[in-house]
Amino acid sequence: MKKLNLLLTTIALIMFAQIINAQILNSAHDFKSKTWNTTGEICKVCHIPHNGAMLAEAPLWNHALSAVTNYSTYASSTLNATVGQPDGNSKLCLSCHDGSVALNNFGGNGVVTPNVYATGAALLGTDLSNDHPVSFTYNDALATTDGSLFPPSTALSGLGGTINADMLFAGKMQCASCHDVHNGATGTPAHLLIKSNAASALCLTCHDK
Amino acid sequence: MRYILIILISFPGLIYAQSIVNSKHNLSVNGPGGMRSAGETEICLFCHTPHTALPRSPLWNRRDPGVTYTLYKSATMQALPGQPDGTSMLCLSCHDGTIALGSILSRSTVTGFQSGITTMPAGLSNLSTNLRNDHPVSFLYNSALAMADGQLKPPAAILPPVSLENEKVQCTSCHDPHKNLFPDFLVADTRNSELCNACHQRNNWNSGSHNTSVKTWNGVLPDPWPYTPPSSTTVAQNGCESCHNPHNSGSDVMLLKYQKEENNCLDCHNGNVAAKNVAAEFSKSYRHNIGNYLNIHTPNEPAQLFTNMHVECVDCHDPHASNSRSAVAPYAGGALAGVKGVSQTGTAVSSATFAYEVCYRCHAGSAGSPPAATSRVIVQNNLLLEFAPANPSYHPVAAIGKNTSVPSLISPWSASSIMYCTSCHAGDGSGTSPAPHGSIYPHILKLQNITNDGGTVSTGTTESASAYALCYSCHSRASILSDVSFKQHNKHLQSEVRAPCNTCHDPHGISMTQGNISNNSNLINFRTGVVTPSSGGQLKFVGMGSNHGQCYLTCHGKNHNPLSY
Repeated sequence: MKKLNLLLTTIALIMFAQIINAQILNSAHDFKSKTWNTTGEICKVCHIPHNGAMLAEAPLWNHALSAVTNYSTYASSTLNATVGQPDGNSKLCLSCHDGSVALNNFGGNGVVTPNVYATGAALLGTDLSNDHPVSFTYNDALATTDGSLFPPSTALSGLGGTINADMLFAGKMQCASCHDVHNGATGTPAHLLIKSNAASALCLTCHDK
Repeated sequence: MRYILIILISFPGLIYAQSIVNSKHNLSVNGPGGMRSAGETEICLFCHTPHTALPRSPLWNRRDPGVTYTLYKSATMQALPGQPDGTSMLCLSCHDGTIALGSILSRSTVTGFQSGITTMPAGLSNLSTNLRNDHPVSFLYNSALAMADGQLKPPAAILPPVSLENEKVQCTSCHDPHKNLFPDFLVADTRNSELCNACHQRNNWNSGSHNTSVKTWNGVLPDPWPYTPPSSTTVAQNGCESCHNPHNSGSDVMLLKYQKEENNCLDCHNGNVAAKNVAAEFSKSYRHNIGNYLNIHTPNEPAQLFTNMHVECVDCHDPHASNSRSAVAPYAGGALAGVKGVSQTGTAVSSATFAYEVCYRCHAGSAGSPPAATSRVIVQNNLLLEFAPANPSYHPVAAIGKNTSVPSLISPWSASSIMYCTSCHAGDGSGTSPAPHGSIYPHILKLQNITNDGGTVSTGTTESASAYALCYSCHSRASILSDVSFKQHNKHLQSEVRAPCNTCHDPHGISMTQGNISNNSNLINFRTGVVTPSSGGQLKFVGMGSNHGQCYLTCHGKNHNPLSY
């Protein structure tokens, strides 16, 4: 029995390890040493403690937002979700990742010449038709219609609660459904994922494939 | 403690009832199949990526093979399959064998696989770039196609789980790559032809024996159903796949198991599944030589063949329609259901009503059909002309016979009977289901009928029950030899003359276009070379009413100039 207790404790520790290590320091989103960040700060690239923008899903927002309103969105003959223009917290991500706004374009930063933009895999561009759709309502009705999605109100996320509670924002899938922008330190899941995708566990949280 | 264990066991994601996780499409290091990556644990990424996918839908993560495929074609296909597109291209990015399984867009280097596997190993899953022997995909399946084909359901009647993709049939119409619900990731059960029937509605199939038979295989090799799951134990359960194989089929046409047409039939009709061993009949000396032709038969060939002469099983049998329905002459029984024919008036029919119409496909004046077996005064080998009801005499195949008094007939035969071609032309020993597959006797006759006649008494044939067993099977030997009808039968058949039946009688009939009721009643059409003109230079028979007549001829040393009886 003692051995079993030890085993369970170990499992519990491993399961919560990612939470323990959750931090932006030294993550891909730690820009303190970038030449385009004259402030040398980490949080300031996105947030500011005073006089930040008053956005519903943007706490104390400090980065210039993208003005793009005509993203190409994902389409498929078997897609049942209604995918509109990006909204909610996905807009925040796209303020860097659509490539229309310079990384250095945030409040309190010095003049950087030339402007620096997201590149490589981090650059999604304004054509999101080759990216997993975001900003669509994911409810039990969608799951039923699709037939290969778990019902978010009851299916568990593996993070402690249901998909709806842990991964959706006002019932919508957003970038943050998969990515935790603050959580990318050594030892946490790659690509700032909210949980490990080993054995495609993240994909299979929602996709009943 | 117990409930903690229960919670752990029910942890989401650990239990996959029917999931890609426990299918062969899980190519990760932990996958259950034979093809597994060396170290990659992710599953989805072998096909999908959440960002920067190509093609965009469905977030594809593999390369387009960029090859030109050889496509399926058939003489009867109305669909126009183009080069694979849509989701079919995605499947082919592994299943054509040209791209490494571990070649993924989102990875800069190819992911290694266990056992040195790179591309799809040879086998049924590797379709190759030759799709000639695979069910066509990437063709428009619309109402017009269904109408033109005539044996396809209208697209509106195609119901889940089978589906079209942008009005096209694609791999995903039949396969769900994520769920191995049925073998080979099929979306529906293939047993009892369920999956195929989602689109295909073959004429007469529902009542056909190949759809209904509960016959099983006796276990003697070869396995007639090499590609179906062991749970399919009957002909009906194996359904379409009793003959067809939708991928890597043995034939280039009709997706059949074997290239040689008859092999698709004879692996069941060899005594191992079907009750009757037809294969054995086709090994006999005299046969419809189905083994002699390859890729000549086409389903849309004319009802009456004048060129490309051949014979295959399917020239006489429609495997989709054949059934065990019995019939009475001259009507075609279930074995001939749905087969083309030529009517007694020479008209092509799409489905033979009368059995002889099937024989007329090749034996009614077609070049290359067997010539008349015996040289006679009147030469004819066109069955349609020989059996015409207006003829002076004929065996009653197409109509009741002309002679109302045939005392030799053994009951139930009577002068008003109608017979089948197969009443005479059938396998020896074929019993209650006679068919002209093959016989040890010439002309595929079911019983012996010796025709040897050198024109003299010593070169004739010794009469016996077996010598003319065929004729005697309907015409009582006792009656014939006791001269009930023709008063000189006994003399002609036995020691004084030793002439076989065939020397005087032309068994099929004498065409009204050549003969007449006076000279050619009673199937009289003398064998030339044996029967020669009389001293007066005449060679003929003249009927003088029932059982009376005159003969002008010389035969077996006797001169009738004439002889009256």
